[in-house]
Parts: sequence; structure tokens; C-alpha cells
Amino acid sequence: MRNILIFLSLVALPALAQNEMTAKAWLENMSQALQHQGYKASMVQVQAGHIRPLVYLHDKVDNKEVAFLEYLNGPPQKAVRIDNTVTFIEHDQTPYSIFSNRIEGLWPAAFTSNLGILSHSYQFVLGGRARIAGRPGQLVRIISKDNNRFSYRVWLDMDNFLPLRMDTVSVDKNLLQQLMVVEIGQFDTTPEILQEAIKRQWPSARVISPQKQTYHWKFTWLPKGFKVRTRDHHRLYGSREPVEYIGLTDGLANISVYISESKTTELPSELTSQNGMAIVTDRIGDAEVVVVGQAPSKTLIEIAKSLRLEN
Amino acid sequence: MDKLDQEWLSAAVDGDIDEQAIKALSNDSYAQDKWCNYHLIGDAIRDELPDAIPLDLTAGIASALESEPELLVPQTPETKVTVEEPLVANAKVVPLFKQVGQYAIAASVAVMAVIGVQNYQQVEQENHPSPVLNTLPIMGSASPVSLQAEPSSNAVSAQEYNEQLQEQRRRINAYLQDHLLQQRLNSNSSLSQNSDN
Repeated sequence: MRNILIFLSLVALPALAQNEMTAKAWLENMSQALQHQGYKASMVQVQAGHIRPLVYLHDKVDNKEVAFLEYLNGPPQKAVRIDNTVTFIEHDQTPYSIFSNRIEGLWPAAFTSNLGILSHSYQFVLGGRARIAGRPGQLVRIISKDNNRFSYRVWLDMDNFLPLRMDTVSVDKNLLQQLMVVEIGQFDTTPEILQEAIKRQWPSARVISPQKQTYHWKFTWLPKGFKVRTRDHHRLYGSREPVEYIGLTDGLANISVYISESKTTELPSELTSQNGMAIVTDRIGDAEVVVVGQAPSKTLIEIAKSLRLEN
Repeated sequence: MDKLDQEWLSAAVDGDIDEQAIKALSNDSYAQDKWCNYHLIGDAIRDELPDAIPLDLTAGIASALESEPELLVPQTPETKVTVEEPLVANAKVVPLFKQVGQYAIAASVAVMAVIGVQNYQQVEQENHPSPVLNTLPIMGSASPVSLQAEPSSNAVSAQEYNEQLQEQRRRINAYLQDHLLQQRLNSNSSLSQNSDN
């Protein structure tokens, strides 16, 4: 009888431990898994009725993270990460590298850096279980504490904690965007493509010192949890128009604020897209303020209105 | 352009055309002009011309789409640097400029084709449809949506209106692409580094 009890406790305890895990603990395990495990995931990105298939490989070799991302449809588009350098290889472009410890465009920055910062603006709630990509998945809701940003739903692999699916959900609970794994596998030996990536010579990354802003713009209000991430002066990509730039983030949502000279062609005061991307325009004196980001347009408008020029 | 071509073009206008011919049409600007004219003539015969602003939408859309690939090519400073006196610019911009020119974002990431079509039926209505932004994560066909800042005043000619619409699109695209590029370039910045408001 006693043996049976011991046996039962041995079998049941790990399962029990998982049952008692908090939503935060699930996410922390996910963060570790994303950074330390060797895995290959085929995924689809779904937004506004468009589907983009992609493949992502990640491993840790000699204590350095190596990752490879490739979009599978359309013109070739790849990214390679070796430790803290990410190289973008895209059709019609000279490949270039930047210093970064993640490839932008997949999982949000907070997933592999600091989950703690999310607690200012989001609460983590454990949801139900679902089968995704043939794997058992645990749902963790990342719910905005206010109406100033969108919420997220993340399903984690119950065996290895890797994320299987992430939904971006509007304030009205409409699905805006989805990143979903269709097939995932773990490996013990580093696949050839990653080994090759380590051996290859990639363009070297340079540190760019941001161009100082001429004026100091200040926000009198920002949604709780949003902080200034970057502040510089640059020329708009594509139009070469000079702008003062302020980048905001709350860890999941990223918002760009642009201040420039007013133009003759006015932009619509408010535009929203099906995937939640919005762009709003306002005027402060002679300056035109454009705020862009995947957030409710109401929030973007309030951010634009809160800008003041500091003397 | 010979007679035979005119025939298929005419068929195309009537919607009686195969995919290959459509492709040929899409590569032939002369044929496109014809196409437009045929449609215009057709509309005129059927007395379906709108009272005002016969917008040349196909040209607008085509040039909006055509301009997309250009957006992803880092433009050389020589071509675009005009001597402006911008409110927020200063002379120091130029060196940075060259650096930034190396960073680019592929259209397939950033293409946010904003296709503006003024819906004729709704011109008369009080409530204009709220502007919708059509984002295209991949190269693909865009379904036309409504985009207009304010109903332009009646005095604006079709051509002017068209140009304005295109300029709007171009500007919106520039902001959206830059936003995405900034996310990439600053993907490493941690929040704690800079937390002033």
C-alpha cells in the first residue's frame, strides 16, 4: 500500500505541479524555452485575410543563440541571428546587420526579455486547453488592464512550453492578427542550416548613435505602462522627409510618434486597418503629428494630443 | 498596336477575356489607356457617366501599386535631397542619411497598399464611409477601399483630386514603412534604458 502511494505521488506530482502553475509561471517557462531549446517551427501569420507562411529555427550553440527565419511565399525574405547580431536578407536589398537579440516580426520582445514590465499594463489569466499543431496547448490570456491597447491570447505547448499560437484581440474582442504554429519539432543536433549560418560571414553590424532632436517634445500623458524607447531625428524611410521620432512601447504594443513640418497634402485624421494598425494625424501649431501603431486609434489620438513642445 | 490587339482589348472591356490577355493588358500602358477610353465610351453610350469627377481610378491604382517597389529601394541622397528648410531638420541630417539608407525594409514586410476609391454611390450621402486602411502583408491584389480625408471641395478638379489622393497614399505608406523599419532597428532596445517621457 505504501509503495503504491509513493508510486502514485511520483506519477501524479509533476502533473499536479503543472496544474498549479500560475499564468505568469507558464509565460516564464515559455521565455526560457524560446531562448534555450532547439526547435523548428513552421508557422502561418494571418492578418486582414492574408496568410504568410514562414519557418523559424532556433538553437543554442556554444552558449550562443542561433536562429533562422524565412518567409516562404513571395520574394525571398530571410533573417539570420547569431547571438546578438541579426542579418536581414531580402530580395532587391543588400543584406545588412543590426545589433539585436531577437528577430523582429515573430514573438513580441517581452516574450524573451522582461515579462515583468508587462504587469504594469496587462494581467495574465490562465485559460483552457486546446490542441494546436497536434500538440496539447495551454491558453494564457494577456489581458489589457485598460482600453488603451489590445489584448493577447497565447497557447503554450504543455510539454515544452514553446508558444504554439498567439492571437491579437481588439478591445471588442475581435481577432485582429494571428501567429500560429502548424508543425513544431525539437532537435538535439543543430540542423545544417543553422550550422551553415554560424560559419558564414555576415555583414557586420554597426552601432548608430541616434541623431539628436532639435526640439524636445514631451508627452503630458501616456497610457499606463508605455515608455519612450527611442528618440531621434531621421528621414522617413521611403519619402526622405525629415522627422522627429519618438518610439513608445509597453512591451507588447509599439507606437511611433512623428513630428514634422506641416505638408500641403493633409493626411486623414484617422485611419484604421483590419489588423489593428492605425495611423492618426493631428496638428500642433505649425507641426504635423503622426502617430502609428497597432493600438486603438483612440489611444493614438490621445497620445498625439498630449504632445507639448518643451522650452 | 494592331487591329487584332484592339479586338481582344474590346473583348476585355466587355469582360470576355482570358487570364493571359489580362496579363498582357497589365503590361501594356498603351492598351490600358485604350481600355479606359473604351470603358469611358461605353459608359457614355449607356449614359452612365457621373455628373462630375470621372476619376481615372485604374491609373491611380496602378501607379499606387507601381510606386510600391520603389519605396523599398533606399533612395540615393542625390535624387531626393532638395534644399528644404524644414521645421525640424538641421544640417547634421546628411551623414546619418547615408547610414540609414543602408537599412531597408522589404515591401513584403511593409507593403501597406492604401487603395483609395471614392464610392460614387455614396458621394451624395451625408455620411461618408469611415476611411479604411487596407494593409497587405504580402504582395497581392488589394481590394479597393474608401480613403479620403475630408470630402474634397467641389471645386477640386479630377486631376487635382487624384493627385491629392496619391500623395496621401504615398505619405501614409512612408509612415507605415518607417514605423515597421523602426521596430526592426530598435528591436533590441530595452525599456529600462530610456524611460523619460
